[in-house]
Amino acid sequence: MRIAVCVKHSVDETELKLDPSGRPQLAGAAGKMSTFDKNAVEEGLRLKAAHTGEVVIFMVGTPASKKTLKEALAMGADRGALVLADPLAVDSLRTADMLAAAIRKGGPFDVVLCSEGSSDTYSGQVPPMLGELLGVPYAGYARKVVVNGQTARIERSLEDSVEILDVPVPFAASVVSEINEPRYPTLIQIMQAGKKPVEEMDGEELAPPGAYRQASVVSMSAQPSTRKHVMIEGSPDEAAAKLVDALMKEGVLSK
Amino acid sequence: MNHVVWAYSENEGVSNEVASAATDIVKGSPGEVVVVEIAQPRAGIRAPGGRLLLKGPSSADSPGVVAEALYRAAKELQPAAVLVGATRNGRETASRLAAKLRVGCMSEIYNLSSDGQSLLGERNVFAGKVVAKVTCALPAVATVKVGSYPRMESAPGGTRELDVGGVDSPIRVASREKKAVGAVDLKSAKVIVSAGRGVKKKEDLAMLEDLAREMHGALGCSRPLSSDLGWLPEEHHIGLTGVSVKPDLYLAVGISGQLQHTAGMKDSKVVASINTDKDAPMFQASDYGIVGDLYQVVPALRRALSAHG
Ligand SMILES: Cc1cc2nc3c(=O)[nH]c(=O)nc-3n(C[C@H](O)[C@H](O)[C@H](O)COP(=O)(O)OP(=O)(O)OC[C@H]3O[C@@H](n4cnc5c(N)ncnc54)[C@H](O)[C@@H]3O)c2cc1C
Ligand SMILES: Nc1ncnc2c1ncn2[C@@H]1O[C@H](COP(=O)(O)O)[C@@H](O)[C@H]1O
Repeated sequence: MRIAVCVKHSVDETELKLDPSGRPQLAGAAGKMSTFDKNAVEEGLRLKAAHTGEVVIFMVGTPASKKTLKEALAMGADRGALVLADPLAVDSLRTADMLAAAIRKGGPFDVVLCSEGSSDTYSGQVPPMLGELLGVPYAGYARKVVVNGQTARIERSLEDSVEILDVPVPFAASVVSEINEPRYPTLIQIMQAGKKPVEEMDGEELAPPGAYRQASVVSMSAQPSTRKHVMIEGSPDEAAAKLVDALMKEGVLSK
Repeated sequence: MNHVVWAYSENEGVSNEVASAATDIVKGSPGEVVVVEIAQPRAGIRAPGGRLLLKGPSSADSPGVVAEALYRAAKELQPAAVLVGATRNGRETASRLAAKLRVGCMSEIYNLSSDGQSLLGERNVFAGKVVAKVTCALPAVATVKVGSYPRMESAPGGTRELDVGGVDSPIRVASREKKAVGAVDLKSAKVIVSAGRGVKKKEDLAMLEDLAREMHGALGCSRPLSSDLGWLPEEHHIGLTGVSVKPDLYLAVGISGQLQHTAGMKDSKVVASINTDKDAPMFQASDYGIVGDLYQVVPALRRALSAHG
């Protein structure tokens, strides 16, 4: 079974600094593997273990993103493809265009996996767009994937319901974090990852934009916060009494 | 292209929110907002500018089918923008529609507007640390952040039907089951007591449930408690991937305050938190903070509340 997994090198929101005017300092900002993409890689590796085959990582990113691609290889993926473009400068559809072209080029694949949403922008748009562009059946928010010959049984986790679908192979899916517990690579795996093949290609050449006009960011600013930050001191009973008093004065406690 | 904006959600309540968002874009001119329905009209739908009922698909259950129906209708009627409620199914519907139309798609937008040439709006990025103003040339697709607009209340106008033909799906639905729904409605709760990983075991939630009841509120939680530990139903988790809430009082108990969590409660009127770690980011998102062990502070809080009677 051939499995493609799309992995994004996301801005690390916990490390991201804002300048005094509240704009995020994105140039040179620290990055990390998008949190839920670890679950997508893990699921790819589990499918490979169950069916034999190959797991190939696809990424639209800059040369600095290679660190994350290597991490996915260290987890156990076999090869990688890096489509060179700045993920913050291309919108979801352009990202999906590039991933689709790279996956076609490296294909055919039986399964294409993404996560439900990337940890920096959390749009949840690239995976369904990719399914659409590849022209394969698509199931989003999968919490269980079992491939059985020419069909897969997929459990989709929605807000208030669970759907069980029978999806013909080949298919694309996005996974939620409940699906599995991602493994940590061993030191040996980390060392060996450097030797695994990674093919590089240029995004704009691979998937020319044509007449498409992409969605774009006009400006960014710090999320406004107007909290009081009052720390209440004292023993648990003293602190609790003071808190109840304060909340009464705020008028947010009804009797 | 005309200036008609379409609003769609497979969820009735969300559809009425999206209708409000669409009305904002056309600056309150109801004749330019069309609420789209698939297969069947729904009783609770509000559509002052009228509805467009797409006939052909047998149901609106599959995002792939809905996207294809919307695509065929949009090709024919050329709306300036299609807004879809950003539920899980809605994100799929919108993304697939945009890919078919090859137009831009903005995700989880609020404060939408249009200058006639493009769609503008705001969204949270970097786990809610930053607000981005985004834009996209018309025609465009956008998903509207759930809970960011009031539900439209006026009565529906007339219905127009369009036959888009049958839509086949390669996917077979084997079953569809409601998740066990909790007894609470976090969206309408005035007080929310929210539990995080600081709670050691499932049984200890009872103490927080009692506190919530004594405060006439509801119990919510951080994502790990519902998604990873399964201690509470999914509907209870607050944040980026869960519900967004704006109660009068949000009391975070044993929650570290990661951005993905605070993204869902930052619009609360007053925020208080209890945490053993004085450096927990939750305190930065709070009006009142108590550094302490929840196993001591929560019982003390219950005593203090009953002292106030
Ligand atoms: C894309 C993405 C989306 C996400 N979406 C969400 C979301 O919607 N909602 C969400 O909640 N999370 C979400 N998360 C997860 C989020 O990043 C955090 O991992 C999560 O919120 C942490 O939950 P927590 O605060 O309960 O646990 P922890 O971070 O483990 O914090 C536990 C806290 O309890 C305190 N504590 C421990 N013992 C006690 C005690 N006895 N008394 C008092 N305090 C104590 C600790 O000091 C600590 O601060 C998302 C993550 C990603 C990557
Ligand atoms: N630049 C990228 N490179 C590779 N995969 C991506 C990229 N952007 C998004 N994806 C995939 O699509 C998922 C959802 O991303 P998003 O639509 O941005 O929320 C991610 O978790 C990845 O699996």
